[in-house]
Amino acid sequence: MDLQSNSQPELGKLEQIISQFLLKSLHIILDSRIPSLRPHDRSGDLSSANRVRKSDKWFNLVLGDRPAALENLNFWHRNVMDPMIIDIILVHEGSNSSSVDNLYTASTAGTSIETVIERWVVQYESPRNVAPQAGEMAASYKRTYKKSIVLLRSLYTQMRLLPVYRAFRQLSSSSQAYNFDIIYKVSSFGDPFTRAEEELMEEYSFPPVEAFPGRLSVSVTYRSTLSDFNIEPSTTMPPKIITDYVGSPATDPLRSFPTSEKGVRAISFPLRGARPPSTPLERPHSWTSGFHRAAPFMQNQHLVRSPPAYRPSPTFSDFPSSPSDMYGNRVQNYRLLSNQRATTCDEYQLSPPFSPSSSPSPPTYFYGGNPNQMQTRKSSETAPVTIPATMTGRSSRYLSPNFSDPNRNSLPPLSPRSIRNDPSSQESPSGIRSFRRIDSSRAGEVTAGITNCHAGQKAIKDSREDSGRFSGPLSSSGSPRIGFSRSSSRLSFQDDLDDFGFSCPFDVDDVDPPDFQPRYLNFSKSTVMN
Amino acid sequence: MNCEVCQLKELEVGHLEFEIREVLRCILHTILFHRALGLVRPKDVDLELFEITYVQCGDLEIEKKIDEKIEQFISWVEKHPNKKSQICLSFYEVKNKQAFLFTHKIERLYWEQWYINLNVSQLPRTHSGKSHRSKVVVDPGAMIIESSMEESSARRAALEASLRDVLFQIIKFVNEKKDHVPPIPNREGVVSYPYEITIPSSSDSAFGMDVFKRMLQTGHPTMLS
Repeated sequence: MDLQSNSQPELGKLEQIISQFLLKSLHIILDSRIPSLRPHDRSGDLSSANRVRKSDKWFNLVLGDRPAALENLNFWHRNVMDPMIIDIILVHEGSNSSSVDNLYTASTAGTSIETVIERWVVQYESPRNVAPQAGEMAASYKRTYKKSIVLLRSLYTQMRLLPVYRAFRQLSSSSQAYNFDIIYKVSSFGDPFTRAEEELMEEYSFPPVEAFPGRLSVSVTYRSTLSDFNIEPSTTMPPKIITDYVGSPATDPLRSFPTSEKGVRAISFPLRGARPPSTPLERPHSWTSGFHRAAPFMQNQHLVRSPPAYRPSPTFSDFPSSPSDMYGNRVQNYRLLSNQRATTCDEYQLSPPFSPSSSPSPPTYFYGGNPNQMQTRKSSETAPVTIPATMTGRSSRYLSPNFSDPNRNSLPPLSPRSIRNDPSSQESPSGIRSFRRIDSSRAGEVTAGITNCHAGQKAIKDSREDSGRFSGPLSSSGSPRIGFSRSSSRLSFQDDLDDFGFSCPFDVDDVDPPDFQPRYLNFSKSTVMN
Repeated sequence: MNCEVCQLKELEVGHLEFEIREVLRCILHTILFHRALGLVRPKDVDLELFEITYVQCGDLEIEKKIDEKIEQFISWVEKHPNKKSQICLSFYEVKNKQAFLFTHKIERLYWEQWYINLNVSQLPRTHSGKSHRSKVVVDPGAMIIESSMEESSARRAALEASLRDVLFQIIKFVNEKKDHVPPIPNREGVVSYPYEITIPSSSDSAFGMDVFKRMLQTGHPTMLS
């Protein structure tokens, strides 16, 4: 089926809104929970950052630099229909780990425990058998956009009211080292909580936002208190530099100071040794941060239907050429109705900063529920983004990648193309922009580029170490997926902007690459690009 | 159009300028953060009295307006101590109506009203021994007027819990009721809708009249608690 003829601009816009909503909510959540993702010099207010990025314009909420992790979302969360489940995980000491001699032995069996203290579920819920009426679609995405602005404001507010926020603030403060850490995991499914865990948790669901034909929902299950965990400032004393010891240069001018270790290195509890994954198929469809090897609740995933996630030694060269095969037999297409133009509603004056859809190129990531197919696609997964959430003190929070370590997953060398910086790009210092336009043949380079670009920005830990699993999207739960057409009209929404008060950051003649490419949820063989 | 009304849970605040200011700032800013739908750079603000962080729009205009009103309210409280009072934050639309041939009447159609209910109570005096009703300037670090540390911390803890409840109440309300929100008249800037903050006026009855008048203007007021 040829989607081009059935494409509806409104559906494409709705898809963009949904996708950006997922990104924005992930940004909000990670920003308020994961200290290691925040820039060092970030202050409470962003007034100093005068530059408004394109991503900031979405939903009129300026959040600043997106954590690199969000770029991953573009990789794996290709289907906006999948729920995005964000687990906020507390890494804390077990009962017998506080002895000093454990501190610096990183390779001993760890006693750190990972507990999910919050689980956020952001998803687009769609009824299966609803055919969208063109008239309904017309004005509804604007309503959806406006209401989702409010929802995101509430989410932002709520993040600061839940119990975990305090722990996050403690960790974020630079004055202390603590005996715990907070890491995260994003996936499209979540391990159910045990009954014991459930009893300790509360739930909150925001009233969903209509996003015809479905709705956007955000909900959270959270620990009502963190007092069960022994969270406290780290008891290890940082090495103190005594400058006026007898015989020091301070007292004896002829001597010079020995070089001393700077900063605090208070490793509160040992790191778990990294174990290589058994088989790629056991990888869950997710990625996460943190040093630790997969938490217990991750390891027992029986992921028959999930495509393999991260491969320890990705060989990016053997890329499949045709993504469409994956889709053709899996996705149900929406029957799009007539493409009459949306009647402009001057009632809704908020303008989503839609990106013009550029020439279509297939995503670098493929969906597949079929393990057989995924075997060949293993290499198509991107290298995981390794965002360490260290347990050490502030100064060593960002580690430098150790490419010489043979045990680590050696990343493929940078391809010059993949780190091409788009001159007009303002968002990210890395060459991440480059991958957005790639076709399948260059995907390998791009993924390498992504990972290495991250190395440039922050510390990149090898994914194996930090259990940064990466997986291909999804899940095939067997349910038919209602796909969205790709918005093919570059210009159709531009006219609507006259009714809007806000200028679209993606003007027609904008040379910037689109911030977002519509998800190609439906692929038939005829739409293979490039 | 419907005017949605939200009566926020009553808060027991002590007659402490600092406390009143913190509480009101927190609530007013939180509401406005949800109603200023323009491009916002959120600003996290930690309350000093409680372990609560709320979010401001980061807009100086809003901050100034809120602070002015709060100061007016505090002055009013000085003159009317030990009273329950309401501060009303209303959002309205401006409608031009041609009343006569050559005149235009500007009418405000209120579409949403938030009532912040405070019960400001004089706290029992201890150390100083003298009771004075003049304006109390409180050093936030010192709790000189509290009767005892235990009572004060219990009171503070209760206030903190109630304030949290109010914030959750706001979140719930803005997300449950969205259909009454009108189109945005002000395309520029942070503030999307004109709003006003009404504090009790000099006499109680006048305040009641203000509220009554406002209700008349709205058309179909829906009292929801």
